Amino acid sequence: MNRTRLAAGAVACAALLALTACTPRDSADVDGDPGELTIVDALPAGTKAVDEVTWAIAEGEPATLNPAASANLIIPNLCDNLLSLQPDFSIEPGIATSAEFVDPVTFVIELRDDVTFWDGSPVTADDVVYSLQQGMNPESQWYGAFALVVPDPATGIVATGPNEVTVHFVAPDSTFRDALAGQGGAVMQKAFGEAAGDALGTPDGGLMCTGPYELADGGWKPGSAITTTANADYWNGAPLVKTLTYTFVNDGSTLATALTQGEIDGAINVSPSSRAVFEGDGAGTLTIGHSTASYSFGPTTATGPAANPKIRQALSLAIDRDQYLQTVVNGLGYVQKTLVPEFSFQSMAEADVYQAGYDALADPEVDLEQAKQLVTDSGEDVSEPLVVAVPAGAKEFEQTATIMQAAGEKIGLDLEIDEMQASDFGALFYDPAKREGVDFVATQGYLETPGVLGYPSLFVLPAEQGGIFNWSGYDDGEVTAHMMAARNATDVEAAANEFVAAQAVYAPDQLQVTLAGTYQLTYLNDELTGVTTSVAAYSSPWALHLGGK
Amino acid sequence: MNTLTRMLLERLGGLLLTLFLASIVIYSAVLLTGDPIAALAGGAKPTPELIAEIRAEYHLDDPVWQRYWEWLTGAIQGDFGRSFVYKTAVTTLVAPRFAITLQLVLLTVVLILVFGVGSGILAATRGRAVDRAVATGTSLGMALPTFVVAILLIWIFAKSLGWFPVYGEGDGAWDRLWHLVLPAISLAVLFIAYISRVTRSALVAQLHSEHVDTARVRGIPRRRVFGAHVFRNASPQILAIAGTTIAGLFAASAIAEVAFGLGGIGSLLVQAAARADLPVVQIVSLLLVTIFVVLNAVADLVSALIDPTSVEGGALA
Repeated sequence: MNRTRLAAGAVACAALLALTACTPRDSADVDGDPGELTIVDALPAGTKAVDEVTWAIAEGEPATLNPAASANLIIPNLCDNLLSLQPDFSIEPGIATSAEFVDPVTFVIELRDDVTFWDGSPVTADDVVYSLQQGMNPESQWYGAFALVVPDPATGIVATGPNEVTVHFVAPDSTFRDALAGQGGAVMQKAFGEAAGDALGTPDGGLMCTGPYELADGGWKPGSAITTTANADYWNGAPLVKTLTYTFVNDGSTLATALTQGEIDGAINVSPSSRAVFEGDGAGTLTIGHSTASYSFGPTTATGPAANPKIRQALSLAIDRDQYLQTVVNGLGYVQKTLVPEFSFQSMAEADVYQAGYDALADPEVDLEQAKQLVTDSGEDVSEPLVVAVPAGAKEFEQTATIMQAAGEKIGLDLEIDEMQASDFGALFYDPAKREGVDFVATQGYLETPGVLGYPSLFVLPAEQGGIFNWSGYDDGEVTAHMMAARNATDVEAAANEFVAAQAVYAPDQLQVTLAGTYQLTYLNDELTGVTTSVAAYSSPWALHLGGK
Repeated sequence: MNTLTRMLLERLGGLLLTLFLASIVIYSAVLLTGDPIAALAGGAKPTPELIAEIRAEYHLDDPVWQRYWEWLTGAIQGDFGRSFVYKTAVTTLVAPRFAITLQLVLLTVVLILVFGVGSGILAATRGRAVDRAVATGTSLGMALPTFVVAILLIWIFAKSLGWFPVYGEGDGAWDRLWHLVLPAISLAVLFIAYISRVTRSALVAQLHSEHVDTARVRGIPRRRVFGAHVFRNASPQILAIAGTTIAGLFAASAIAEVAFGLGGIGSLLVQAAARADLPVVQIVSLLLVTIFVVLNAVADLVSALIDPTSVEGGALA
C-alpha cells in the first residue's frame, strides 16, 4: 500500500524533472546538445520479488561502513537517517516524524515509535543521542554540521522523552535540519556501537542499524564482497530483493563489460568515458540523473599569481567549457557557473531566491583578449611556471590539467602538471608542507544533502571560521558577514537572501574555478527497476524499491 | 652428512637470511613511499589534534629501527599488524585473497607445463616444420603482454562468444574454475612461449650429446633413450627456469587479477599501494619474496633429486 503510493510519486517526480531539464533555459546555460539527454532521478518502483542482485561499487571497496566515518553507496541502504532525502533532493520525515527549531537555539526531534533495529530492538531516544554525538567528534565526516551545537556532550544533545531528542545550539543554525537528511543524521544502536568500539563498521566489528537491508554477521568478506539481506520488518515496507551483494570493480572498462554482459546487475557512478559501450547493445540501460558533482580547480597558496583572483579569472576566460565537457565527461555534463550547483537548492524553501541569485551570475565564456588584459592588470610576475597538482592515473584529472595548460599557454601563463600519488595528493588537503611548490589543485566534489552554505564556507571563510580549504587567504568582510548571517538566520527567506548576497561577491573571485557540473550515471539491468538515480543515492536507501519489472 | 642434507641446510639458512634482509628492505622502502596519515584518517579532514593522536597510536614518531623491531617480533608471533584502511588484522585480509591467487597460479602452472613443455618437446623432436611452427607461435606469445591477451580474450571469448565470464571469481569449485580459465590463459601465454623455448633448447642440447649418441648406437629404443636420458638430463635446467617463472607468477598475476576483477593478493597490493595502506603493502611484498625464494629452493631441490650431479654444478649457485 505504502509502496504503491511512493512508487507513483517516484514516477511523477522523474517525469517532472525530465520536463524541467529539457526545457531550454538561456542558450549560454546549456552544453552542446541538451535535447538528447533525458534526466531521470528515480526509476519506477519494482513490482516483482528478486532473489539476488549483484551490485558493483565503482569506487572500490570501502574502508568502513560506519556512517559517521565514511560516505559510500552501501551505507544508505543499511542505515536510515533521521530525515528521508527524496530523489528530487526534497526532505521528508523519516525515523523522525518531525525535526524543527522550537526556538532559535533549541531543536526538537520527535521519533516514530515503531522503528526497530535489525535485531528487533526498538529505536530509543538514547540510540539517537548516541548516534548524533558521533558527529560531535572532530574525526567525523559530518563534524561541520554540528559546529554550532553546544559542545558539552552532556547538555548539547539530550533525550527529553522516550521518543524525543533535543539539540541545544550556541547560535541559530539554518543548515542543521538539512544535515539530518544526510549521514550526519544516521541512526545506529548505542549498545552495539559501544561494544564494537573502534571496530564499528569494519569487517570484524559489523553494524547495527535500521535500514531496509541488513549486514549479516560475517557478511563482509574483505577483498571480495559485502552481502546484505532484506530487512523483512523494515518500517517503510520490506524490499523486494532478498540478497543484495556488493562487489568492487576499480577498473572502468572491466566494469563496463561486466555490466553490459549482464554479469553484474547494476552500478552507480559508472565512467562517462564508457558512454558508447553503455548506450550500445547490452543487458541494461544507462540512466542519467541530477547530481551536485562538479569538476573545478582552485589555488593552494596565499602567495604568487594563483592567489590573485585576476589570474584565476583569466584562466577561467581561456577555458572553453563546451570543449571541456566533450573531452572530460563525454558530453555528460553541463556548464556550471559557480561552486554551488542548482540541484542543491532546487527543492529548498525559497528555491526561487537561490535560482535568481544563480541566474544573475555571469556565464563562463571564452574571451582571450580580456584574459590577457587581466594577466597584465594583475601585476603578477608570471615568468615562473605555475604548478597544477592532480592525482596520478586518473584520466579525468589528467585531461583537466592538460586543458588548463593549453588555456594558460594562450594567455601567457606557463602551467606545469604535477601528477601525485594518491596518498600524497590526499595529504595536500591537510598538510601545508605538501602544498609548497604547488599553485593549483584540480578536484571533483559533490554535496550529499541539500543546502548551499557548507561547501562555499570551506573556501571563502577565514580558516578559523571553517574555511579549511581557504588556502589563498581569501578574507572579505562582506562575504564572511553574509555567510554567517545566512547560517544564523532564523527564517528561510533571510537565509536565502544573505547567501545570495555573499555569492554575488565571492563567485566572481573564482575561489574555485568551476569547470563543469556532471550527472549521476547509473547502469541497471533491463530486468530490474526501482533505483534512485540522482545524487540523493548517497544519502537515501536507493535500493529500497529495487525489484523486477 | 650427505650432499643433499648439506644442501638442504644451506638452503634453509640462505632462505632465512634472504627473508630477514628482504624484511628490512621492504619495511624501510615502504616507509619512504608516503605519509600514512591520509590513509589512517580514512578520508576525514584531520585536525592537528587528530594527526597527533594518530601519530601516537601508530608509533609514527618512534625511531624507525624500533618500529621495525616491534613489527618483526610481532610478525614472528603471527601478528602482522592491522590494515590502516580496513582497521582489521592484515592476516584476515590476505588469507582469502591468497587462496584465489594460489588457485589462479596453479591453473596457470598446469597450462604452462602442459603447453610449454609439450610444445618444446614437439619442436625438438618432430622435425623442421613443427619446429618452425612452434618457433613462430612462441615469438608471437612472447610479444603479447598479459594485459593485451586479457583484452583479446575478454573480447573474443567473453563478449562475442559469451563462453566465459568476464568478471569475478565465482562460487564453488566448478564455477571458480570456469572464472579462472581466461585469467589463467592470459597469464600463461607469455610463459608458455618462454618455457617452450627453454625446453626445446635443453632437449636439443641433450639430443646432440655424446651419451645419447652412444645409447642410440647401442640400439636402445628411441622412446627409452628420450625418457631415460634426454628428458631426464634436460629436466633440471627446465625445472630451474620453471621454478623462477612460477615464483614470478604470483607477482605477475596482479595484471590478470585487475583485468578480470579477481580479488587476489595482486589486486590487493595494487589497491593497498594506492591508498598507502602500509601494513598490507608490507605483508604482501614479504609474502611475494617468500614465495619466490621458497619456490626457487624447491625447484633446485627437485633438480637435485632427479640428477644429484647437478648439485655440484649451476643449481647451487
